[in-house]
Amino acid sequence: MPPPGPLPVDCAQPIDAAMLMDYWLGVLQSTVEEPIEEHLMGCDRCGDRLREVIALAEGLRALARSGALLVVISDHVVTRAEEMGHRIRQYAPPPGGSVQCTVSADDDLLVARLAADLSSADRVDLSWYTDQGVELVRMSDIPIRGDAGAVICQQSITMAKTSPSNTLIARLVSVDSAGAEHLLGEYAFHHTRTIPGPGEWKF
Amino acid sequence: MSDAHLAVRIADGDSEAEAEVCRRLAPRIRLYGLRHLRSASAADDLVQQVLVKMLEALRAGRLVEPEKLAQFTLGTCRMTVIDLRRTARRQERLLAEFGSDLIPDPPPVPRLNDGQLARCVQMLKERERSVVVLTFYDEQTAGEAAGFLGITETNVRVIRHRALRNLRSCMEANA
Repeated sequence: MPPPGPLPVDCAQPIDAAMLMDYWLGVLQSTVEEPIEEHLMGCDRCGDRLREVIALAEGLRALARSGALLVVISDHVVTRAEEMGHRIRQYAPPPGGSVQCTVSADDDLLVARLAADLSSADRVDLSWYTDQGVELVRMSDIPIRGDAGAVICQQSITMAKTSPSNTLIARLVSVDSAGAEHLLGEYAFHHTRTIPGPGEWKF
Repeated sequence: MSDAHLAVRIADGDSEAEAEVCRRLAPRIRLYGLRHLRSASAADDLVQQVLVKMLEALRAGRLVEPEKLAQFTLGTCRMTVIDLRRTARRQERLLAEFGSDLIPDPPPVPRLNDGQLARCVQMLKERERSVVVLTFYDEQTAGEAAGFLGITETNVRVIRHRALRNLRSCMEANA
């Protein structure tokens, strides 16, 4: 038998964290994946780093599924949430229109569908205002597809459940190369609180 | 003592070397199992079955090149995952013979500060945040995300890499 090899006390060529995440997500070609797996089978240092990557991936999955983020999402996410048995509350006011809305304790996802013609827009911002015109948050350069005909925005369900009755205005604007804004649509959400809590927020 | 040295000693009947090989290889096999089986309990099953097969082979001196223990383990993992997917409980006889007391507890999974992670994700650019949610909500592929975003798969990967790099920096800065 050949003589025993040296004890691997350190890793001379640690695998990049981005590569480890791609490996975990299963998006690597097999020719790239195989040497990574061989390395991992002999390297505890990189194994520890992969465990950190897995922890991050699991944390992100839990966060993505929590409904707590304010984020533009796709129809696929809404469909998958329904398939997973999540309770989804969706509102789709027409451009220039308004909708009465609420959220209950057992809702999992709160979604606003904002119909707009996005076909000629290069950059689109989505701003949320109070009914006094105070901008609460601006989502700059949101992901859009020109032929989509709508933006699907997930509102934080955590925030909505604690929100007092109020009115939020969503405003979709295209921003041209000179920085000038053009209104694509404005939508009013009249939220009525059904979960007990403080009467109002100060902005 | 190297993995190869341990393999040689197992062939010579050293039970302490067997325990040491199990201690070293189990966490590596478990990671492979988590990646390919996507289940902690299935990964634990894989650890048991691969270690049993490994010990059987090492005791019988069937590993001709001990310095290739890692490759041998990886090959055994691959074959066992195929078996596991075919039948869930095919190796019970071997497990009954060897028992599971050689299997060490898995290493602890690092804990993340969930609140900090949420704050860091909310600080990402809109496209980055959307790509992160699309990627991790349902392990959507870059191609599916690209269809929604109206950009190329390559661009989705670039955005995802940048988002994850920013997240790691944010988490480390606030650790």
